[in-house]
Amino acid sequence: MVKTSLASIACFVEKYNFTDPKEAMALQNFKIAAEKMGHEFNFMFRENLLEIPKYDAVFIRATTDPLYTAYIVSKTAWELGLKVVDDPKSIQICGNKIHLYELFEKYNVPYIPTIFLNKDELHHKRILDVFRIFGRPVVVKAPYTSFSRYVEKVACETSFREVAKRFFRKSDVLVVQKFMPTTFDWRVGVLNGEVLYVCKYMVPKGRWKHGAKRRGKPSFVWGRTISLKRENAPAKLKETALKACELVGHGLYGVDIKEINGDYIVVEVNDNPSIYAGYEDFRNRDIYSKIIAYLTD
Amino acid sequence: MTVAIPCIQSSGVTLVLVVSNIDLTTDLPIMKPSTFLESSIKDFTLNINNDYRYLKAGYYVSLHAEILGNQVIPSSENIIDAYRTPILLLRASKAGIPTMPYLVTDSVKQIISEFNFPVVIFAVNPFSYNGFKTAKNRSALYRALKSLGMNYKFDVCAQPLKGEMISLKSVFGRCELNRDASKISKRVYEVFKIPICKLHIQRIEGKAYLCGLQPLKNEEISLHDLKMISEEISQISKNGENLVG
Repeated sequence: MVKTSLASIACFVEKYNFTDPKEAMALQNFKIAAEKMGHEFNFMFRENLLEIPKYDAVFIRATTDPLYTAYIVSKTAWELGLKVVDDPKSIQICGNKIHLYELFEKYNVPYIPTIFLNKDELHHKRILDVFRIFGRPVVVKAPYTSFSRYVEKVACETSFREVAKRFFRKSDVLVVQKFMPTTFDWRVGVLNGEVLYVCKYMVPKGRWKHGAKRRGKPSFVWGRTISLKRENAPAKLKETALKACELVGHGLYGVDIKEINGDYIVVEVNDNPSIYAGYEDFRNRDIYSKIIAYLTD
Repeated sequence: MTVAIPCIQSSGVTLVLVVSNIDLTTDLPIMKPSTFLESSIKDFTLNINNDYRYLKAGYYVSLHAEILGNQVIPSSENIIDAYRTPILLLRASKAGIPTMPYLVTDSVKQIISEFNFPVVIFAVNPFSYNGFKTAKNRSALYRALKSLGMNYKFDVCAQPLKGEMISLKSVFGRCELNRDASKISKRVYEVFKIPICKLHIQRIEGKAYLCGLQPLKNEEISLHDLKMISEEISQISKNGENLVG
């Protein structure tokens, strides 16, 4: 059979990727952009993993973590020599905040004051130490956090112990950070060492993070997303984001940055950043074609 | 890639930092994982742990050593890959280790359409100690997927069961079984460098096939294993031998 398309791309998704219409629309935008450029673009679900070798590139949109199927997809594609976003190394680094902050420390990326706490250290003296160093409250973060989950603010020893014990069930080391409230976090989208888009992720009123759990309910309340043209974003902000991504790799990342007294402080680098139609793409319409071009280059 | 242990002292003894959660009987200084995680010691690091699963102390020791720029056994990447059965099988098969065909899925229907019963099912999550079940019929397969997939949250890795399943302890690639299984144990160590683990092997008509790798429980490590681990550490330390990384 004669192959008519330039390249064939598998987009690995899970059912939940289509529950939010804005995310579903963004996925369709990727498909349209790819097909406009002459490529084949198919959604690949869990039950189609045997098809990975048929493709030239794999684009992962399902949530990534070394424990999830997305990592199996990424590593399989990588081992088969396919172009893959997110690549397994990026998933390994971004999927574990301990890994990320150790790299920030080593390579002098400005980041939120952070302490690592291991299981043996969950005792009165150490907790008081943490409060003495950072003041109250502090932020306790599980290394596998994503979408604002497993990040909690605690102001007393009892809550500290309760949250830490819960997070220690999965990980033997936790992140404790200074609480640095801001009205928004910058989100800088980076692809292959270049800024792709810039947004402000606003913090909802009365909350302290972009996505906050509704009291007593399983659902989340999200702050607004304000998009900027990448050309109009502060140069120092973009420089900080690129420096942080350089440590991770050359894929697609979303860097969260706090602006405090004119300084830019990295919160984290995320692989597999959210792309919702009308949010991240609002002022930078070319993000779809740029990502497809990178996958097929 | 071949990595040589650096820093051979004038006495001929190699500088090896042993980080272990196990009580070893070796003359070398041994550091506890929690102490090492707070240190910035730059030495070749031999991370000896019964459990290297992702997010556990054994994983963080290797990660910390890598960030410090140390050569380390095992590497954090190998830890993640070795405990994820489909990646273990993919990389093992690329390295020429005999493996069985496998399928990553959460669908009973798909397994039935690909393989005949019986099948062996491995968990594709590194939280499970007893990560495999065999299923001889559809209802057993449903139960296996529900339990190993943690209520279908994770996929499983299905493989056809055509022979007998054998589980063995592997210590630096050494095991106490026949030649075929022992060859697999040696090769798995050469590829993934996991010093202590449990290997699951399928033996079909006298030939061994790798099926999975899992952590050992502390109580599964016998006095004889401890002796073997200590001997291996001493050998590595004395000989400064080349290790495949």
